[in-house]
Amino acid sequence: MGQVANPKGGLRLENVSKTFSGRRVLADADLDVAAGTIHALVGANGSGKSTLIKILAGYHDPDSGARGWVSGEPIDLGSHAAATAAGVRFVHQDLGLLADMSVAENLTLDEESGASWWVANRADANRARALLRDYDLELDANETVSELGAAERTMLAVVRAIRDGLDNLGLLVLDEPTGTLSNQETGQLFELLRALRGRGASVLFVTHRLEEVFEIADRVTVLRDGHKVLDAPTAEIDEEQLVETIVGRPLEDFYPDPPPVNREVLLEVKDLTGPNVESVSFLVHGGEILGLAGLTGSGRESIIPLLAGVAPWSAGELQIAGRRYTRLNPHTAIEAGLGYVPADRKGLGSIAEMTVRENLTLPRLPARSSRWLSLREERKESVPWLEQLAVQPNAPEALFATLSGGNQQRVILARWLRVGSRAFVLDEPTQGVDVAGKADIYEALVAAARAGACVVMASTDADELMATCDRVLVFRSGRLCADLSGDGLTAHAISHHEHRG
Amino acid sequence: MKFSLGDILNRFSGLFLWAAFILLFALWVPDTFLTLGTAQSIASTQAVTGLAAMGVVCAMAGGAFDLSFAGVLGLSSTIGASLMGRSDVSPALAIVVCLLMGLGVGAFNGFLVTKVRISSVVATLGVSSLLLAADSYITNSQYITGIPKSFTSLVESKPLEIPIATIYLLVAALVVWAFLEHSRPGRRLYATGMNIDAARLAGVRTDRMTFISLVLSGGFSALAGLVLLAQIGSGTPNVGAGYLLPVFAAVFLGATQVKPGRYNVWGTILAIYLLATGVQGLQLAGGQFWVNDAFNGAALLVAVSFASLTARRRRATPVDGHEEREVNDSTATDPPQLQGEG
Repeated sequence: MGQVANPKGGLRLENVSKTFSGRRVLADADLDVAAGTIHALVGANGSGKSTLIKILAGYHDPDSGARGWVSGEPIDLGSHAAATAAGVRFVHQDLGLLADMSVAENLTLDEESGASWWVANRADANRARALLRDYDLELDANETVSELGAAERTMLAVVRAIRDGLDNLGLLVLDEPTGTLSNQETGQLFELLRALRGRGASVLFVTHRLEEVFEIADRVTVLRDGHKVLDAPTAEIDEEQLVETIVGRPLEDFYPDPPPVNREVLLEVKDLTGPNVESVSFLVHGGEILGLAGLTGSGRESIIPLLAGVAPWSAGELQIAGRRYTRLNPHTAIEAGLGYVPADRKGLGSIAEMTVRENLTLPRLPARSSRWLSLREERKESVPWLEQLAVQPNAPEALFATLSGGNQQRVILARWLRVGSRAFVLDEPTQGVDVAGKADIYEALVAAARAGACVVMASTDADELMATCDRVLVFRSGRLCADLSGDGLTAHAISHHEHRG
Repeated sequence: MKFSLGDILNRFSGLFLWAAFILLFALWVPDTFLTLGTAQSIASTQAVTGLAAMGVVCAMAGGAFDLSFAGVLGLSSTIGASLMGRSDVSPALAIVVCLLMGLGVGAFNGFLVTKVRISSVVATLGVSSLLLAADSYITNSQYITGIPKSFTSLVESKPLEIPIATIYLLVAALVVWAFLEHSRPGRRLYATGMNIDAARLAGVRTDRMTFISLVLSGGFSALAGLVLLAQIGSGTPNVGAGYLLPVFAAVFLGATQVKPGRYNVWGTILAIYLLATGVQGLQLAGGQFWVNDAFNGAALLVAVSFASLTARRRRATPVDGHEEREVNDSTATDPPQLQGEG
């Protein structure tokens, strides 16, 4: 493979177990990351993957008997300080950057700025520039992080993690860094990772996107039910095998059969103009699943908020189920029959401190004759909706925050089904959801489509778009540049139009 | 619904604590504490605190801090006294005017928060200053006398030995409880308070909810001021200030009881009587007047710390036994200092 042989780096974990109140979440799990390689860690929710990372980060103590080595030296598992001292660095999904501060500040904050206590901005900026140059990152050191693109931010987070030098790096752990990145942006990140590998860095890469495993990783480890079930070079297995190993059973219809599309136009958008969106027009038919693709900033991620009534319209009109609208706010959007499922499930899509039942019923609260809202009746009414979407567990009184990502998403879909939405508009519907959960969400969307609704989903996951959507619209520079369907709908075509058109 | 022993201990810990206080003071100062008079005294003085707290619970449920409630309470008492004592206005009319004042201040607060977009803390803080000024102007820093018997008699009766003011409080509590927990606007109010953006996206008219929560707070505070005026029998300058701490302490402590994690009516009522019993007991046992502030202050801190810890534990304990939280949960990136599951 041509890596630089480097005695420094690499991770070995043995016999890592973790029990939470009598429940074994990890059972003698092992992990072996060879120095100077990129190693993927995959597993469904409940596999113990997140717990393993948290133990490595020092957030949890493992049960006794666990042993770990970084760069060949034993480390104390369950201690944040020990992990840091051993050279383990993390980039979590939220990137940990200070959005309102500059690139330079993010790279140099909390460092000893020499002997003086005077914060020397220029010295910081120079140090930052040197770091950026070292890793070939073309960023302006003075630019504010919130102005950067998604890929740039992710790469900045990586450089920030390794800012004390590759010689001091034992292991770089990236926890689902590509959640909001399009294919091209992911490609940029991967270039950086390959460069780091070439310089001897060891990388542990956690992801739900299996195509990434094959694109970037040298080896992959699969966790299931708390222990390791597979550890193999990526060259020796294929995607189907990987999926089956993760889920533990053969998955025949991973992507469900598409529903029949009727010719009735359900939703029509004309000359829609708004932030990042310029005069976009398209139609959606009843029973159709329409995908939206495009790089960050292309308008792909801006269409959904316009349809949801969250972003302001400068121009354009929407026709849905025979009614015409020239502006929308969340309230009128819901009345028009649009059900919005935002990408930020926790912050915007749901109220985490409320129960599943309360989240389910919020847009249309049940109240019989008088004004009295009976909790018992509300609970009874909720159960069939939760069942229809196979929410696990079917517990209306559970706190919403305790459900898995996939189940949370299903509750939100149930919410809109219950209100009778005709058009579901979703932003990154399976972001942060594991393989099995994704399949369930697709099924729920297809079920909604079969019932006559239409689905509009924006996604950076080209495989997902290709497999679930009847048509995909590709955006570039705020405009619609391609409408792909049938044989013309391929990941390659999507990519092609995303860049060049 | 789970009703495990642990659950009951957690949700009703205040009740047990209250029983413990009663036992403690019954043993410590039996002659003065364990009397009907003491019980009635606690009950009737807390009626005012309780009525104001009902308003503040509504505001907090809707996500708004109403720091002006004490000013409304005081000004309502002052305006009532001035109208009845100086201008011979009938009690009925005075009551109406004071309530309108309270609702009006609440509406002004609501306007500042929803239209001018000032945070509720800043807006109500500013308004409370204005109310204090108005209070000083009207009272001229002196007591206002001449309140008619027809008004003060409204709080004198004791049906079944329970002071009527306490009955007023219980009725108010029932109304607010029914509103918050068993009505559609009440649910929307809670949603607004818990996550205003998500609530908006679910179709809740959050500005309207915030506005309503502040109007309710103003209204109940004005009512509390009137009850206080009837109890004291004269208009007292800046009489509301002393209620700021006990009411907020009770509302925060109440959020750990009965329905932990939410500002709720019965938890607040429990907290009010718990705190009042503690303070009264200590005063009877020889404590000085500062016992009031010390006790309420300490209770506030304990309540908020307790609430913070239990909220984190509750979020960390999954329902069906799987460790289902996604790694991008914000606590995963907190520095590891929380021992516990999840």
